[in-house]
This record gives sequence, structure tokens and C-alpha cells, in this order.
Amino acid sequence: MSDTKDKAKIKAAVKRRKRLTYTPVKPDMQLGFVHNNVDCIGCRACEIACKDKNGLAAGPRFRRVQYIEGGTYPDVFAYKVNMSCNHCESPACLPTCPTGAIFKRKADGIVDIDSTLCIGCRRCEAACPFGAPQFDPSDNLVKKCNMCVDEIEAGRKPYCVMACMMRVLDIGPVEEIWSGELETVAIGPNDQVSRQVKNMSNIELTKPSIGFVAHSKGKVK
Amino acid sequence: MSIEKSLDDLYERLNLSRRSFLKSTAAGGAAVAAGGLVELQTAKEAKAFAYEPYPKDDELETVVTSCAHNCGSRHMLVAHKWKDVIVRLSTDDGRYQKDGHFGKDSNEEPQLRACLRGRSYRQRLYSAERLLYPMVRVGERGEGKFKRISWEQALDFVAKKMVQIKDVYGPTALVDQSYAGASYGVLHKSDQIEGLLGRFLGMFGCRTSSWSVPSYQGTTFSSRMTFGTIEDGNEDDAFAHSKLMIMWGWNPAYTFHGGNTFMYMRMAKQRGCKFVLVDPQYTDSAAAYDAWWIPIRPNTDAAMMAGMAHYIFNNNLQDQDFINKFCQGMDGGTMPAWAKGKENFKDYILGTYDGVPKTPEWAADICGVPAKDIIKLADMFARTKPAALKASWAPGRNAYGEQYNRMAAALQAMTGNIGVLGGCAEGVGKAWHAEAVAYPYDQYSNIWFQSIKSDRWAHCVLNYPNVKREEIGLWPREDNTDGQIPNIKGIFWQGSDWFNQLTNINKEIEAIKKLELVVCMDSTITPSGLYADILLPIATHFERHDVALPWYKGHYYIHRPKVIEPMGESKTDLQVFTELAYRIGGDVFGQAFNPKANRDYFHVNDNVDEAYLKEWWETKVMPHQHVDMTWDEFKKHGVYKFKLDQPHVAFRDQIENGASFQTPSGKIEILATQLAQITDWKRTMYGYEIPYIPKWIEPWESLNSPKTSKFPFHLISPHPRWRTHSIFNNCSWLRETYEQEVTMNAADARKLGIKTGDTVEIWNDRGKVVVPVYVTERCMPGVAVLHEGVWIDLDENGVDRAGNPDMLTLDEPSPAGAFAYNTVLCDIRKTDLEHRPGWDQLATSRAHVFRRDL
Repeated sequence: MSDTKDKAKIKAAVKRRKRLTYTPVKPDMQLGFVHNNVDCIGCRACEIACKDKNGLAAGPRFRRVQYIEGGTYPDVFAYKVNMSCNHCESPACLPTCPTGAIFKRKADGIVDIDSTLCIGCRRCEAACPFGAPQFDPSDNLVKKCNMCVDEIEAGRKPYCVMACMMRVLDIGPVEEIWSGELETVAIGPNDQVSRQVKNMSNIELTKPSIGFVAHSKGKVK
Repeated sequence: MSIEKSLDDLYERLNLSRRSFLKSTAAGGAAVAAGGLVELQTAKEAKAFAYEPYPKDDELETVVTSCAHNCGSRHMLVAHKWKDVIVRLSTDDGRYQKDGHFGKDSNEEPQLRACLRGRSYRQRLYSAERLLYPMVRVGERGEGKFKRISWEQALDFVAKKMVQIKDVYGPTALVDQSYAGASYGVLHKSDQIEGLLGRFLGMFGCRTSSWSVPSYQGTTFSSRMTFGTIEDGNEDDAFAHSKLMIMWGWNPAYTFHGGNTFMYMRMAKQRGCKFVLVDPQYTDSAAAYDAWWIPIRPNTDAAMMAGMAHYIFNNNLQDQDFINKFCQGMDGGTMPAWAKGKENFKDYILGTYDGVPKTPEWAADICGVPAKDIIKLADMFARTKPAALKASWAPGRNAYGEQYNRMAAALQAMTGNIGVLGGCAEGVGKAWHAEAVAYPYDQYSNIWFQSIKSDRWAHCVLNYPNVKREEIGLWPREDNTDGQIPNIKGIFWQGSDWFNQLTNINKEIEAIKKLELVVCMDSTITPSGLYADILLPIATHFERHDVALPWYKGHYYIHRPKVIEPMGESKTDLQVFTELAYRIGGDVFGQAFNPKANRDYFHVNDNVDEAYLKEWWETKVMPHQHVDMTWDEFKKHGVYKFKLDQPHVAFRDQIENGASFQTPSGKIEILATQLAQITDWKRTMYGYEIPYIPKWIEPWESLNSPKTSKFPFHLISPHPRWRTHSIFNNCSWLRETYEQEVTMNAADARKLGIKTGDTVEIWNDRGKVVVPVYVTERCMPGVAVLHEGVWIDLDENGVDRAGNPDMLTLDEPSPAGAFAYNTVLCDIRKTDLEHRPGWDQLATSRAHVFRRDL
């Protein structure tokens, strides 16, 4: 974090934030993640790849593989729910940012933080129902997944997706993920995609751009 | 690349047609037209990483390399570097192979994506624990006080001491404990039997080798006896063809055996394959493959298998044609003429000899699995074709673990699931054969003067000379030194943290005090290193030239160039041994050890390494494996993936074309010819009798033993996912994904008043450790799970505050050599003793002690 802030820049950003709060960005095409909760072995190669890509020390975790287990011995079950930032349709983080550092990209709907504007106040961290914004104490900034925009702009996919040994994590236009049109091995031939699974907040809050293949015990009626 | 062009690429990859892309762009255009001002304002946002400078991959230099450590697989790492610094690592994305492109991931040539351990390699490479300079011990062994010295001083010290020890104590005084560690390549190879260290000490004329492999000696023995080879594995793509897969103590979600095993198993699931897990834990593998979990008491696997065999024989479900054609000693009809009067397997199972039929009910009492489940599984296995019984290594790391693996082979054979696609004969499971050796491989490669069971060195040192040969599993020799107990006075560790990894660490601590020379060659400090006299800093695989080969499954080679210059003063293993050879034996030893090099090799090694590798590629890989890619082309691509005509299945040739098995009889030896003919067991390396047919033998510790009155829990120590044995224990990214904790069943915990997060002590007669506890329904009652490999951290009373299970294991190997890592009874209680949560917390202070010039 720089010690001095460009006041004009902050002013412009705050103005932009205000505008986006009342007239949210409608992306030309919204990219989102898809994750198979059942077939994921929970290895966390995606998490480590993300750490390495974003140069993070222990502490902030952009991508989090949640381990869920239940039942009573010996009738037990377990599955994984893997989330980073969901690049929501209505990102709860965006309006909370006092400096307007958070923005949503028009082309692909990716939500990103301009760290030259971030003051590390952590309001977005509190606002996000999915725990996406992560505070990095090494430079007092809040950071989060930006779907590796540099990789996307280079015509590739994010590091986490390309790290998945089981090929159960992917990205695509989110409407196609939800409709099942997206051709991806993350979704098996007999799998259905759900927008909401157990162990995640209500999707009505922010309309996250993510789809899951839910475990039978993780389905929401 | 322009954003528009790149988005175009992305659209193609996301399977959007060009037309739909144009359509959406047009829609975007309309939006621009409607709100031009908005677009102008948001134009700024296109800036990717606001926290620049951020070097993007395409602005960095890309070097294909691989991971290199002692796990069951080997994957590609792609280094993105800026000058001499690796900025980040990625992995195979399909681009690098011949005719590759981004996203190429066919079943024929799947991507070799690295696991979490490989991805964390930068933290190991640049860790505070890296050894950068040679150091000499200034405190007591284990105290961790060292002082920096020059290579000249270090090598001089080692060379003089080696000669002195050999002169005084003879040719068995030095033990090599070298394992694959972080040095598994075709050139810079550390290996227990035939690596660079073994060759060096053998040529020097002073070497006691260690013959039993900690991970899978029971399994190796079984595969050798039954099939005559350890290459009893199928390639990973064969797993996609099973209709039933029994994962016996196998957790590929943790161990990642083979390049893409876990992925092909998913394919099998999608094709309708049913999965079963026989294991004390409901593992992540069970969850991902939706397996039927059969919890089993540790160390009782052979009994359950005997129960299954009984059901199969009793209901005549065996594949009798297969047995008659391919097996020896399965039943009365397949007994060889010379074995009249010997026992056959079927009659053993039916109880003909001992009057005890090994029925499912008999087995149920021993293994804790209800008889109806044993019957159900046996029935499924006998009737489903093809079915894979994947008998993994872990249940073989037991007292009499070899019996479990031999019993599994009998089940695989009696159901005719060997040599067929979708079946399985594993076992060790080594499949495709790689050309593994680029270093000089000649008559000197494996010279030893005595060879012992690997975890008996401490016993041998402490009791010398009052040691019986069978106690240490002395390998027979043809000359007059046969049976001489080695007088061990020194240890060499090369890329190996064996002190931390062998059994009964407290006994090792006693023994190491008696040694006169302990040399540790490694890239980082290790718990073993703390007990060394000399620490030699070794270059990692990023800092030297080599080629990676698959370890266990997979058919490819990955080029491993020198990505960065060696850090600090680190040198390669080969440089160190070569220089020591020159110092000890002048040009004669030096040039015999490393024929392509001269004395300058210690300072300049690039050309010599290149020459070895090029020769290996051109004289071995190209002619033997029909590879037409030149060495230079291979270096350019960085990877060569073989395309196989059909999935490699072990013993296909034997079953389909009638070729002989590599056993004495040419058959699958349920009755092992070699074992049946041994009369004096003491004169064998085994030391104690091993039945020539698979049998259930009661282990010395289990939940069925009377010792449970004192120690009611059975401790197992599986391989973790977040370390490779002890490697990566110091990586904070990985530390973040787990805690070194003991897993126990919820009902057991309730009885002891323990809940998740409590600190407990686990102890038995051998030692004590302190760890946090994780309480779960996913673990069998009576069983405690503590993953191996954590770096020991002892307090003043010898209590391990880090939680290494080998403080509790017994250094009593199974007759066939299997380490009894999983044959441990213990007790658990809540404690106030100090637990130290992480090496990483200590790392800074410890590194400070190591680095400072005292």
C-alpha cells in the first residue's frame, strides 16, 4: 500500500463506485466457476497453485476447499465445496468500499480490487457472504481472486482450473454452466448442476456466478 | 496479445463458436453505443493487476521441469523465471509436448498435472531451512549447533575420517542410508540399493547396505515370490476399465500413485464401476468414488481375505480354468510333483491341516468385519468381471504384512483377474518400464560387504558384537564373510531423512551416539541433519541438469534443465562424490567413479552432465524404446509422452499368449517354490520362517492381543497428502492445509472426554508424542491415525512435541523385511504437556542458529 494516495484518482473511483452501486455493471458475458463437489478428492492443488500465482504467504487464502463430513459411524459421508471469489452479479463487497477500489469488469463480469486504491479497511471482507476478500497483513491490503485476469487475457484459464488434477474445476460463461450447455469434464455425463448447495450462503444475497455438482447430502431442496 | 484476440482464444476454448462470440461482442457494442460515457469511465478498469509491477507469465522465461521427490508419481512443473529467480510454478497445460496446444488433455496423452506438494516447491527451494554452506557440528549430536566451514575443510574431514574408519573397523563400518528423497532422476540418483552413494561407498570398499524398503518390502516380497517380478502393475489408464474396484488400504486421493490414476478411476466410476474401500478410515478416496466402506481392524487383512477365499472355494466360484492353467499350489490339482506332502492353499483355507476352516465367521472374529459383509464382498468380487483388487502397500507395512499381500495375490488369481484389462495383480504395481540410469552403471554399482534389514541398524550398533544374524536379517554372502555382523561406525545420508523416518526413534538416538562419523547431504536441514557431524549443501533439482522418469506409473520423460544456478555454495551429489573419490583415491578412484569427468568437475559440471544425459537418450531411450525424437528436440519440448497401443496390463502376455511367469515354475506361485525349499531359515536374509503358501499369522500387537489391556488403541501411520514422508514439512502453504493431529473415533473420544482441538499425549513403552486431536465418525473405534513424516521436536524428556508416530513404532521388522509401521498399540489421554504446533514457527530461530557463523 502506498503511503500517499492520488486524491483525484480516489475521487474518480468513489464516483464510479457510487454509480455502480445504483446502476450495477451488466457484463457482456459473465464468467463463473463450476466445481464437482463429489468427484473432488480435496487435494488442494488449486489452493497451492493460487498461493504461488498470487505470491501469498501463509494466511490469506483466495481459494478455499471446504471439507464437509457427516453421518454416524459406520454410515458416513464426505464431500468438498470449493470456492474462491464468485464474481457475483450483485457483489456485496463493491458498495462497501470507501475508496471505490472494487470494480466489476464489463467484458467478463470479473470483480477485482484496485490495490492502489485499497486502504485495507476490511469492510468488503465483512460484507462478503462467501469469505472471498482476504486480508493480507504483509501489506495491509485486502486481496482476492480475480480469476487470473492476466491468464484470461492471454487466452488461457486461471491457475486453479489448470491445477486441478481431477479436472473437476472449470470456468465458463455462467449461464452455460447453469444450463448444462458448457462442455466441460468437470460435469460428468450423469451430473446436474446446482446454483445452491448446503454449506454456502443463500445465493439470493449476491447472485454468485458459480455452479456445483452437488453431493446427495449437499443438495438443497 | 491484444485483449480482443485473447478473448477470442478463450471463447474457442470454452467451446463457444466464433459466431456466438461475434454475437456477444455485437451485444457489447450496443451497450457501448447506448451508454458511451459509462464505457469511457469503465475503460480504465481493463488494467489487469492494479498492484503492479506484476510479471505476467508471458513476460517471464518459461522452463519445463518436474517435481522430484519420493512419492508414487512424477509430474510436470513449469518454472516461470525472471533472471535467476523462479517467480512462480505452473504445470502441464498441454502446450509443451510435441504437437501440443493449450488445453490438450487426451486420454492417450493426458496432462501431467502436479499435486499440491509439487506446486509448493518454491517454498522448499527458497526456504529458510535451505542448506547453503558446508557446516560442521560444534555441539552434541542432535543439539543443532553448527559452524560454517569451507568445502575444502568439509571434504577433507570426511575423506580422512572415511579412510580412518575403514582402516580400523573394516569394510562394513559405513552404512549408506540413501533414499529417493529429493534426488530421483536418471543421473543424480539417490537410491537405497544402487544409487550414487551406494556406488561410491562400494567402490571405496566400505559399505553395509540396507536391503528392506520401508514403504513396501512386504509387498515386494509377495510380488517376487508370487509373480517373480515387482512389475506387476497396470498403467493408470487401465483403471478406467474395471467394473469393480476394491481399494484395500489404498488412498489415491492422498498418495496420487501414478500420473493420472485418480482421474482414470473417476472415469471408471462414470462408466458404472462400483468401488469398495477396506480401511480403518473413511478416506477422501472413498468419498470421491462413492465407495462402500468396510472398516477393518488394522493388521487383520490376511484373515479377512482368507474368509473371502473360503467363501469362494466353498461356493465353487473360483475360475478353475485359470487356476489349472496358470497357478501353482492353489489347490491339490495344481501341486507340482516335487511338493508331495506339502500344503496347498485351498486345503489350508478349508482347514484340512489344522482343523480350522477359515470361514467368513472365523475371519469376522479376527478382523471385526461382520461375516455377512465378508460374504457379500467375496461374492461381488467372484462374480464381477473384470474386477480389480488393488492391494496397496500400507496393510503390508505390518507384522507379517507379506502374508496380506500374498493372500491378495491368491484372491486375484483365483478369480482370474490377472493379465486382463480391468483386473489387477498389484502388489507393488510398478508398470511401464523406464530407462532409469544415466550415471555410470557397471560392476561397481552395487557392491556391499554386508546387508541388513533397514531398520535394524540401531539394534546392530547397540548390541554389537552380541547380535545374531537373524536379528538383523543379514543377507547371505557367497564368500567367507557370510554371517559376519557388521561393525557399524558411520552413516551417510544422501537426500534421505531416515533418522526421522525409520522405526523406534528413541533407539536410534541411543545408537547414533556410538558412531564416529555421520554425514548428511541434503538441500535443507532435516531432523536427521541435526544429528550429523557434517552438513553438505546439495543443489536441488532446479539447480542441476537431469531427466525425470515416472516413479510408479506413467509413460513419459520430463527434461529437467538447470533452471537456476545453485544457491549458496550448494553442489550436486555427483559433484560431491566425485570430488571425495579424487581426494581418497586420486585419479584412479576419481575417474573410475565418474569416467566422463576430470577433477574440475567440482567447479564445472554442465558439460559432463549433458554428455551423460545425451548418451543415455541416444543409446538407451531412442533404440530401446523406439523413440525418434532427438535429444535436442526433447530438450526443446521438455517432455516426451509415449503413446501406447493399448493400456499396459501386467502379465497380459502370460495370460493371452502363454508366456512363462518369471517364477521358478513359470506359473503364479501361490506355493512359492523358493520358500518351500528353504530348510535353514537363519541362513536366509529373512532369519525366521515364512510359510510357503499365504497364511494368516497373528501379529505381535493388534486389537486382538492381550496387550490392549494396557494399550487399548491401535495406531496406524499412513502417508500424508501434505508431505512426501518428511519432505515439505517446512512449507507453510502446505502447513496451512492440515494440522499434524491424531484422528480418532467420536465414541472413543467421548469416553475419554476428548474433543476436537484438545491436546493429547499418545504413548507406549517406546515413546511419547504430543499432538492435537481430530474427532470424527470417519475412523473405526479403537483405531488412532497419526500421519508419518512430521519433523521430530523433542523436549528435555525425549517427548516429541511435533507428533511423529515413529517415536512409538517398533524396530522389529516382519520376517520378509516389511517394516511394522502399522503394528503399534498405544494409549491416549488429554495432556498439559507442551505441543509445538509447527516447524514453521521454529524455523526462523533454528535457521538462525544454522546460518550464523559461530
